[in-house]
Formats: sequence, structure tokens, C-alpha cells
Amino acid sequence: MSNARVQVTPEQAASDQRFLTARKQKGTERYIVRHSKQARITHDVTIIACLLLCVTGLFVFVPPLTQLVGADVVFVIRMSHRVIGVVFVAVPLISAIMAPKGVAHIFKNLFAKWDSDDKKWMILFFPYLFMAKWIHMPDQGEIKSGQRFADGMLWFAGALMGITGMVMLLGSTVFTLGGDAYAVVLLLHDIGFFLIAVFGMAHIFLGAGIFQPYRGTHKLMFGDGLVSESDALYHWGHWARKELKNGKNVVEK
Amino acid sequence: MAEKAILFDTSRCTGCHACQIACKCWNVLPSPTRLNENTFSGTHQNPPDLNGATRLIMTYSEADGALPNKPVAWAFGRRSCQHCTDAPCASICPSGTLYVHEESGMVTVDASKCVACHYCVTACPFDVPRYNGMQGKVNKCTGCVDRIEQGIAPACVSTCQPEALSFGDRDEMLAEAEKRLAMLKSRGYEHAVIYGAEEIGGLHVIQVFKYGVEAHGQVLDPKVSPITTLTNIMKPVTGVVAGATVIGLAVMFGLAAGYKRDKLAYNAETEDTISLETGEVIKHGDGQDTESVKEHITCNLPIGKKGGDHE
Repeated sequence: MSNARVQVTPEQAASDQRFLTARKQKGTERYIVRHSKQARITHDVTIIACLLLCVTGLFVFVPPLTQLVGADVVFVIRMSHRVIGVVFVAVPLISAIMAPKGVAHIFKNLFAKWDSDDKKWMILFFPYLFMAKWIHMPDQGEIKSGQRFADGMLWFAGALMGITGMVMLLGSTVFTLGGDAYAVVLLLHDIGFFLIAVFGMAHIFLGAGIFQPYRGTHKLMFGDGLVSESDALYHWGHWARKELKNGKNVVEK
Repeated sequence: MAEKAILFDTSRCTGCHACQIACKCWNVLPSPTRLNENTFSGTHQNPPDLNGATRLIMTYSEADGALPNKPVAWAFGRRSCQHCTDAPCASICPSGTLYVHEESGMVTVDASKCVACHYCVTACPFDVPRYNGMQGKVNKCTGCVDRIEQGIAPACVSTCQPEALSFGDRDEMLAEAEKRLAMLKSRGYEHAVIYGAEEIGGLHVIQVFKYGVEAHGQVLDPKVSPITTLTNIMKPVTGVVAGATVIGLAVMFGLAAGYKRDKLAYNAETEDTISLETGEVIKHGDGQDTESVKEHITCNLPIGKKGGDHE
């Protein structure tokens, strides 16, 4: 957000002053509910499973690692990869069945039409990553435009990994998958891993608040699911103002 | 040791299965032996294809013969690993289970290293490696490198009584194949051909096909699948891009060191977004941004124009 001052009428300035004084006297801060408990549990279990899958998968994907630990250890790792894979697929599916409206809400946001702020945000995003101290970003709705793109890629890559993983698991146990079909599925699984590796690292860097302007955002999914008024206004300005005006999801503490 | 090769002259093969059985014996590979345990394949070819415990099979093809005195063209084949010079199974194997035996050029197997990833099964242009589910290991012809290292020919070659199979230096086997081909051509087998001289970088099983490649059940013009090539590319690409991502993120982290921003609050009554540090209104209302991209980048820089128009 710009540091530039905006001119307001004396009446507005007086109202703002009263607002700030009342706020100070109360001594509380406002928070907006961003993620439900179910969404957080689903996200956290899935992301832990995903990280474990990435690590265990590396022992087949990276030849020096495979050779370093030997066939017996890789066998144990492969079996755990299969078990964790089932968790990775089953938990989001069960959660989706339990909350279909939540799934619809996620996908509605993912495919929401981009307004001019969304487009500008996306153009500014890469310069912002390297010049966060100076570049101010346009306000965003509930999901930032770049977040929609990155989340979409993670949804896609996750689904690709889940489906291809299940086909390979069943194709080597329940039925026999032919060599050519197996090759295609294996390649798709590798492509899914490539996408997960790149977008997942970026997601962790931003979502876990390793990147300084995003400090504290880890609490949204790994904490109580609340976002402070200040952080909400910075990251999702349009959404925050709507929520603060509406007051329904606002918590004071 | 010079590069070695097995030569298979189909014109000398009697289809006796001895090579198949010798392979089983030498490599201690089990076979169903109870009555009717094997499904009848409709031909002498048994088992119908390679499997987790069968590394070599004789194939049988009965076609109409072109010569008047030979109305039936019995085309015997030998289906097993071709020991490619540019073996895609070995290049894709992550565990070092399949590798090219440097001394002989044979593509051999160290099953103790197999992690059952199936990569080799998907990569072979001849559809040879088979996964043995019971053992959780891949199974294919080893080229009998254990015998070769002791100066003995592979088991299948040693047992071949009609001398359809022979073994030796690859150059010599190719020269011998040329002689056999010339002989077959002189006898009117116009489709006779040598297979393995150039395919997949040159095979270490050279075959002389009496009735042409396809008649003997082999792959005409075998190629490494583009899927295999892509799979091989994916690993370094993923490594490089993931590494670049980590470096990029580290640079971003470094450049953002010392970052801080004003805390904000929103007065719904006036629709003003206010800085709690300075008390100044930094945005009024909730309209779309009106600054240009350039202004977004430069307005907070310590140099150049400052300002905003969130009126």
C-alpha cells in the first residue's frame, strides 16, 4: 500500500480521530475469520502428507539418493510412500464430501474474473518479490490474483499426483498396467512433482511467512485461522473492508 | 576384453527350446511344471511371452512360404534382451540395477539393487524387462556376464546344438552374419536381413532373419520412446528449476531484510483506511487502484517522484 497521504474532509478527519481514540481506549484488536477449523485440518494434514511424499519420492526420483540408501531402505520408503499417498488422496476427498459448499467457494474464487487490480497485482508481483520495501501493491479480493494462479497450479498438480499415483499403485497390485501406459503415467507423475516442487516451495515461502512482508500468515492455516485487521487490509484490502464493514466474521480480542 | 555379441542365425534354428531351458537352468528360474499349469497359447510358443521368471522364449510364426518347395515358412525367433549399446533401460534406472557391463557391452542386472520402480519396464523398445511381483524385482536377461567373465559363452549359446547361436567379439559376429546373409540371399531368401548392427546404437544380439524382421517377431526400426526421453529430461530439469527457485527465494529473503510497514485500521463509517503509526488516511473508499504500474514501483522509492491518488 502506498505511503502517500490521502486528503479527506475535516468531518471525515474528525470521525477518523474519534475512531482511533475509541480503538486505543478499548485496547483490543480486530481479527477476521479467514479459514474454518475443517479447512485448516484438511490443509495441514494434506500439506504434511505432501511434504512426506516429496521426501519419500525423492528416493526413487534422484538416482544418487536411491543408490545411497540401498534397495531395502528404498523398499520401506516406497511402501510408506504408498500409505502416505492414500492419506494425501483420501483426506481432501473426505473433507470435500463433508463440505461441498466450501469446495464450491474455493473453486468460485479460483476462477473469479480478474479486475484491473488483479491484473496490476500480477504484473507487479515479480518486481515486488525483489523490492518489497518500496513497491506497494493494489488491493485484492479474498484470494489474490497470483494466489489464484499458484493455488490453481497446486490443485492441478496435487490432483495429477493423486490420480497418477493411484493408477500406478493399482496398476502394480490389482491389475497390470502395460509398459507404454505405465510410462505415460510415470511421466505425468514426474511432471506433477516438478510443479509441486516449484509452486510448493513458493507457497511455503509466502504462506509460512518466511518472506518478511508475509510474516504471521502461517497462523491462518496452522494457527487459529484468524487474520489481523492490519494484515488483512495489507494483503486482501477489498475483502478486508467488506468483512470489516459487514462485521459478521470479525472477532475482537 | 573386446565388445561381445550373441549371433542368432534363424536359418539354423530348429526351435528346440534348448536355449530357453538352459537359461532357466543356469539362472535358477522356476517354471510351472504341474499338468496343464501353463495356459495353452495355441502355438509351440510357451509360455506365451516373457514373464517374471522367464528371460528368454522361442517364438514361432507360421506363414505362407514364398518358395515352391517350402510352402510353409516356419519363422523361429528368439525373444529376449537385445543388449542395446544406448540401453534406455540402463539410462533410466535410478538404482543402478540395470547397467552396461563395460567389458562386454552386455546390459546386465544386479537384482539386489532393484527398487521396483518400473522405469526400465516402461523404457525398453523391445518390451523385455518383466516385473516379478513375488520378489519385487525386475527380471531380464543378464547376458550371462558371470559366464563371460570366466571365458564361457552364455548358457543359451553353449547349449545350442544346431549352432544357430554363437558368441564372440561383436565385430566377428557381424562379419559372420554378413556371410550367413549372403548365403541365404544366394538361396533365394530375398527378405533375409541382418538385425542389430545399427539399431539403438547397435545391439549385442545380432540376428540373421531368414524371412525378414517382422516374420520373426521382432520390432521393425525400434526407437527409444519420446516418453522415455522426456522422463530422463524431467529429472535434471526439476533439479535445476527447483535449485533456481531456492536461490531466487533466498535472494528475495535477503532483499526484504529489515522490511516493516505501518499497522493499518479501517473506519467503516468514513470508509478510510488509516495508518496507526501516523494517523494519516492512506486510502479512502474501496475503489480500484488508479496508479500506473510505474508509479507503484517508483512512488515509495527514496529517489524520484512521490505521491498517490487514493482520493
